[in-house]
Amino acid sequence: MEAVQGLIEGFGVALTWTNLMWAFVGCALGTAVGVLPGVGPAVTIALLLPLTTKLDATSALIMFCGVYYGAMYGGSTTSILLNSPGESASIATTLEGNQMAKRGRAGPALATAAIGSFVAGTIATILVSLFAPYVAEWGLQFGPADKFALILLAFTTISAVLGTSALRGFAALFLGLVIGFIGLDATSGQIRFAMGIEELYDGIDVVVVAVGLFAVGETLYVACHHQTLAESVERIKGSIWMTREDWKRSIGPWLRGTAFGVPFGAMPAGGAEIPTFLSYATEKKLSKHPEEFGTGAIEGVAGPEAANNASVTTALIPLLTLGLPTSATAAIILTGFQQYGIQPGPLLFTTQSALVWGLIASLYIGNVMLLILNLPLVGMWAKLLSIPRPLLYAGIMIFATIGAYGMRNSWFDLFLLLVFGLLGYAMRRWDFPVAPVLIGMILGPRADTELRRALQISQSDFSVFFTRPISCTLIVLSVLLVVVPAFLRWRKARRFGTPA
Amino acid sequence: MPQAPRRDRAQLVISALLIALALFVFYQTQLIVADGGYSAIGPRFSPMLVAGVLLVIGVLLLRQALAGGWRNMEEATPPEPFFAPAFLWIAGGLALNMVVIGFIGFTLASALLFVMVARGFGSRNLVRDGAIGLVLALAVFLFFTRVLGLALPASPAGFF
Repeated sequence: MEAVQGLIEGFGVALTWTNLMWAFVGCALGTAVGVLPGVGPAVTIALLLPLTTKLDATSALIMFCGVYYGAMYGGSTTSILLNSPGESASIATTLEGNQMAKRGRAGPALATAAIGSFVAGTIATILVSLFAPYVAEWGLQFGPADKFALILLAFTTISAVLGTSALRGFAALFLGLVIGFIGLDATSGQIRFAMGIEELYDGIDVVVVAVGLFAVGETLYVACHHQTLAESVERIKGSIWMTREDWKRSIGPWLRGTAFGVPFGAMPAGGAEIPTFLSYATEKKLSKHPEEFGTGAIEGVAGPEAANNASVTTALIPLLTLGLPTSATAAIILTGFQQYGIQPGPLLFTTQSALVWGLIASLYIGNVMLLILNLPLVGMWAKLLSIPRPLLYAGIMIFATIGAYGMRNSWFDLFLLLVFGLLGYAMRRWDFPVAPVLIGMILGPRADTELRRALQISQSDFSVFFTRPISCTLIVLSVLLVVVPAFLRWRKARRFGTPA
Repeated sequence: MPQAPRRDRAQLVISALLIALALFVFYQTQLIVADGGYSAIGPRFSPMLVAGVLLVIGVLLLRQALAGGWRNMEEATPPEPFFAPAFLWIAGGLALNMVVIGFIGFTLASALLFVMVARGFGSRNLVRDGAIGLVLALAVFLFFTRVLGLALPASPAGFF
């Protein structure tokens, strides 16, 4: 078995003292930023990118992935103790979790979230180990046309299927594509869209865009629109341990939540929030205590928390095997790979097998670390929530400027940071999703390259995208994902006589 | 239920800006040097495609904005109306930081930014904010320059 052999090699890499330490640093940082409002895993990893010049690739990527899934653990603490989810994947947890906390059951809510995350994370990691090599093998058959079609599918799902409006999602995506064009074109060696500004010849750095859109944009939004909103942090009273009854009511939701999360993560569609809502709705229907829903049913915490952890873990399958990130954070991890000149994709499992299996092995270890960090030590993280907001956001802004300025000590990058901060504010205010900007910016140049490569091989014959079965299927799927919902809305609007 | 057309000025402006961006991309694409490449499809192809789609998106958003507003915006209403002082303190803090960082160094510029952002969030405790900002900025400065080896400008005094 390839997986067993790979894992033996991987544990050899992951269990060295250095890599254990970096996994721990990543998990602890991830938990912290998951707990803290205003800063998330995408921004954190972007700010850590300078470390790639100091660390070897395996250690750095183990740490980045620790931040990535650690934030999911930390996020549940905030959802339960503070009635405001840190991100969309935690909304479902907030519904019941905060109610439980208000009724003095914060402990069991945190416990079922942490243990559920552990169960889901571990099952999903086993599935990653088993299936990733096969997906990579399948990916080897992809030609340029197929790769282009795959990116197209990811673009469509990320901007049209997730979020409230396909149109605004696409607006965000295409904005990202324009940003991605800026600078040197790899295929022709031409500079594009630099407007004669020397600082733009190398393109705009991902760090500036990510930190500006997410951290600065969020800070401005919270300051301008949540100025006087009082948030009360629930105290953790009594035992954090679950009763026998809690266990009995949690196990089913954990497993079903995992089952919802796994396919959603593995598909090149992304979005950890859909499976959490599916899980929540299912548990509400199946529960023997439906009357408790809305006032703190433990099933409503256990299921969604398992679902979001399962889906972020299996989202590593498309990232590692096809080089396809399905979330903003995964896109930044992809940038991390590229800092080392490594391109994730089908060849990763053969050319970098020690790295990729070391990374997968570290997921098993990281989940154990996170269980310990988030269960017995949860009180420590909860203290982060009592940092006064002026100081918290002021601190975040210092880190934001260092991320932008530290790269080349140019005031121009601070100017860009402000521009993207204002853009991030406006997008948040008028309900444009932000993640498609980053995905478009990072994947856009690759889509451009594959498109031109495919057309070069076919001698400018566009039918190449429809004569190859993989490419044709993916393109048809992308088109259907946009057209079918639009058609259904149009028909519904016509039937009910409201303007479309 | 037919609704009375409600025109949101911000939505109109944003739609117009997207259309302007599409036109700008069209214009900039014409400036890309496209000759001399060996590839059949040159560096202009994708930007043209992107500009075209962006134009369509902008027009569709403008049409929605003119006819009753963008769709599915129900949950996008912020809990409080725009609070201009907060915006000015924070955006101004970032702008000032950009201007002064090269002259007074990272630590002092960051401490100033810290105080201004905290003020934007309603803090009136100038002494506390200044002290915390200075300590945090210094710690970050030392960590990034001494541990990570990143170059950051020191203050005119030298050491920090």
